[in-house]
Amino acid sequence: MGLSILLAIGILSIHIGKVFIDRQTKVIELTQEVQTEHLERHVEYIDGHIGLLLYYVKFGFANEQSPLAGLSLGQKDFRQAAQLINIRNLEEQKNTTELLNPLFQLLGNLDLSFVLIYLFPLIIIALCFDLLSEEKESGRWSLLAVQSKKPKSIILSKLLIRFCFIVIAFILLAILSVVYLKLPVDVSLLSYMGIAFLYICFWFSLSWLIVSLDKSSKQNCILLLSVWLLLTTVIPAITNSAVSSIYPIPEAYDTTIDSRDGYHTKWDQPKEPTIEKFKKLYPQYEKYNHPEGASFGWFWYYAMQHMGDEESVEARQMMKEKLSKRNTLTQKIGYFVPSINTQLNLNRISKTGMDNYLNYMNALEHHHEKLRLTFYPKVFEEKTIKSENWSQYKMEYHVDDSNGSLFIFAPLFLASLLLIGLAAVSSRSNQILMG
Amino acid sequence: MIRFAQIKLIANHTYNNILTFPINRWLVGGFLVLIAIALSSSYMSYANHQHDVGHYSKDVRDRWENNPDKHPHRMAHYGYVAFRSKFPLSFFDQGLDNYLGNVMFLEAHRQNSVNFSKASLSSSLLRFGELSVGLLLQLLLPLLIFFWGYASVSGEREKSILKLFFTQGVSWKELLLGKSLGLFSVSLLIIIPALIFTLLLLFIIKPAEFSPVLFSFGGVAITHLIYLFVMSFLATWISAKSTSSKSSLITLIGCWLFFVLIIPKTSQVMAQIIYPSPSKIEFDAAVEHELIQHGDSHNPDDPHFNAIKDSLLSEYNVSSTKDLPFNFGGYIMKEGEKLSTEVFRKHQEELINTYKKQNSVIQKMAILNPYIAIKNISMVLSGTDFGSYQIFKSEAEEYRYNLAQTMNNLQIEHISNTTTSSADKGAVISQQYWKDFPSFEHRFLKVNEIIDSISYSLFCLILWLGLLLSCMFFFTNTLRAL
Repeated sequence: MGLSILLAIGILSIHIGKVFIDRQTKVIELTQEVQTEHLERHVEYIDGHIGLLLYYVKFGFANEQSPLAGLSLGQKDFRQAAQLINIRNLEEQKNTTELLNPLFQLLGNLDLSFVLIYLFPLIIIALCFDLLSEEKESGRWSLLAVQSKKPKSIILSKLLIRFCFIVIAFILLAILSVVYLKLPVDVSLLSYMGIAFLYICFWFSLSWLIVSLDKSSKQNCILLLSVWLLLTTVIPAITNSAVSSIYPIPEAYDTTIDSRDGYHTKWDQPKEPTIEKFKKLYPQYEKYNHPEGASFGWFWYYAMQHMGDEESVEARQMMKEKLSKRNTLTQKIGYFVPSINTQLNLNRISKTGMDNYLNYMNALEHHHEKLRLTFYPKVFEEKTIKSENWSQYKMEYHVDDSNGSLFIFAPLFLASLLLIGLAAVSSRSNQILMG
Repeated sequence: MIRFAQIKLIANHTYNNILTFPINRWLVGGFLVLIAIALSSSYMSYANHQHDVGHYSKDVRDRWENNPDKHPHRMAHYGYVAFRSKFPLSFFDQGLDNYLGNVMFLEAHRQNSVNFSKASLSSSLLRFGELSVGLLLQLLLPLLIFFWGYASVSGEREKSILKLFFTQGVSWKELLLGKSLGLFSVSLLIIIPALIFTLLLLFIIKPAEFSPVLFSFGGVAITHLIYLFVMSFLATWISAKSTSSKSSLITLIGCWLFFVLIIPKTSQVMAQIIYPSPSKIEFDAAVEHELIQHGDSHNPDDPHFNAIKDSLLSEYNVSSTKDLPFNFGGYIMKEGEKLSTEVFRKHQEELINTYKKQNSVIQKMAILNPYIAIKNISMVLSGTDFGSYQIFKSEAEEYRYNLAQTMNNLQIEHISNTTTSSADKGAVISQQYWKDFPSFEHRFLKVNEIIDSISYSLFCLILWLGLLLSCMFFFTNTLRAL
């Protein structure tokens, strides 16, 4: 019964992952289409300075998703899979988020990582909590103790059978997800499954420890459920609150205000200082100049747009640093809390967590800079729109090739070992298994 | 016939019985500590948020007012930054707060997204939930009540004490009511301090308008009490119905999982399937597509705007737009802003309606699930629900539109048609106009809107209470004493 519920919800979760992956792929394709159409339309209809065209046209940049993202959605659901950016101020463009019903975010996604982290332990608890106590409470235990020389091994074998059932259910889900999501069998997939397997082991070791304490069925049930609640709700929630209050991020507001003032106020100021600052950043543009006395010029205009990003650079750097500090601290706490550790690792392997986002943001900034450097000389040289081969500017992709190490398995592995050790000691000292 | 003295006796006995166990006293104590941590940490984050919003709003306002004399269209582009402030009671139940954006850059011609939700700045840990009194009282406390109550009747039956009760003339109704009340009074040990602490913090915040906050607080207090009473009843009734304490425990845990995990998650999946919503790129592409058809005010050859030009020229009987008695550029931009805003708002409204339909699929489940009912009620009353957010968003958009159009009107009125550039001397107006434009503030839900948004959930909660009470009055003959 428990197993069939687990399998049913597991299958549903894999389907949800599939739907999500398809949706993301569609978003990326559509972004590509929109970019091409947008570019063609503007090239055809804007007839004038290339600077004016570049004011309008946008270029796509996508965060290529790992096929595993369907198994652990992480934060991908509210981040955009691809963005369209123009070469003006980046700060005002890059922080847009995907449209998503906030209530859905509150309720969370029913993905495979949720099934693994929340539901598997519950079923394990349901299967194991009365392993020994049920025997004792029904009076069968004394019978067993008389008939068998090693009643302990009977309990152990019962535990092993349950372990096998759960592992088989897990393997079935794993095979299904490989087939249904067409996952390549590679290091990432094996790491994902490895972490999931160790997490299951952890819960079995914990259940065994509680069972070996020789309490009543009801007490075991309450004890195990309380641990489950602590690990999956209370501790992560406290950790999250603590981490955000240790590193508050008011810089998010600063970047918005700084970047806006950084360029808008330049309209009211003499143009030379803006241009001088710009030239200092890019000595290669030394030879270009703003026509004296002119109220507008594209050279000055893009130099001014550039200042929006330049003057918010401090706040932006600060913000990234704090985001990365938040992430590191959470990971450290995770070494001691298996549920947090598992979630973070699954997200990291599936490239759907904060690490991936920070990498992507850096890549986006880099890409934006590259676009600028490609187009600035063309604008400053006043090249004609027609002289440029626009169809060569296609959407580009950020590929996150960060890799984990074997070390990611250590915390769960050690935790399981520790619990098994404790269980062995406790069952001996309680002498419960002697009858 | 119900004798209150009997009920009180049984309730007292149940209450004392639970608290004799040191583990239960520890649980209550631990729970209170958690509540204190949750309340103080969410109060701090509320206070920090409000401080930041105040600080940065003032900063934005000062910068706005201190802009020198200039062409009004530049001010329209300079724009404004709107910050979302929180309702005072939001520290009680953060609801959607963490997933909602906090900053919105408002400028002419385009509608920007609301950025920097707390979730976007956190690790993926937030998905485990946020520590709030809401979570503790709505999700964890019922489980605790189930732990205390699963054996309340079945345990007595197993020890054959139940029979004794009846021979002494106690009726089923008195027994069930007494047991439920006993359980409920233990949970009062937790919720009453939580409510008092909340009220104290509200007095520390001292909101400018206290009465709507007090109204919300009263609502939160009463509905949570009803909710806990329903849960105490449920525990007692299941315990009476079950054949053994163990099966009672398992049924209750099943109920709890069903309420807090299975129904919310699956109804979310259902809502997504029944009412699919567009991605950002789909939405933007649809808006842009429609805008192109309507005309582009930046395109000098656009037929729509050429038609406007021609009709203006003939109306004022002049040959060139330069001879019009007002600024033609401003007029065209005003038209363009009106048009693009209409298109955007139409699509935005469709999107919001889709979200509302999705949400209603989930909220409808309150009939099966008192947890969803109380969750919705508490989010609405704490000002952290979807409706409250929409108020912020629509008021910010309204402000943006007013700002752009006010600047366009200033341009139409004060800027000469002969200026060629916005940097000309004649193209500049006094900074007094910036000071005259009001600053951005947004309101919260009004009492009638609150009542609208919670009426269904409240109905469901009361229905649950009624159903359980009627079980007690009409179905006690299905219960066994042995």
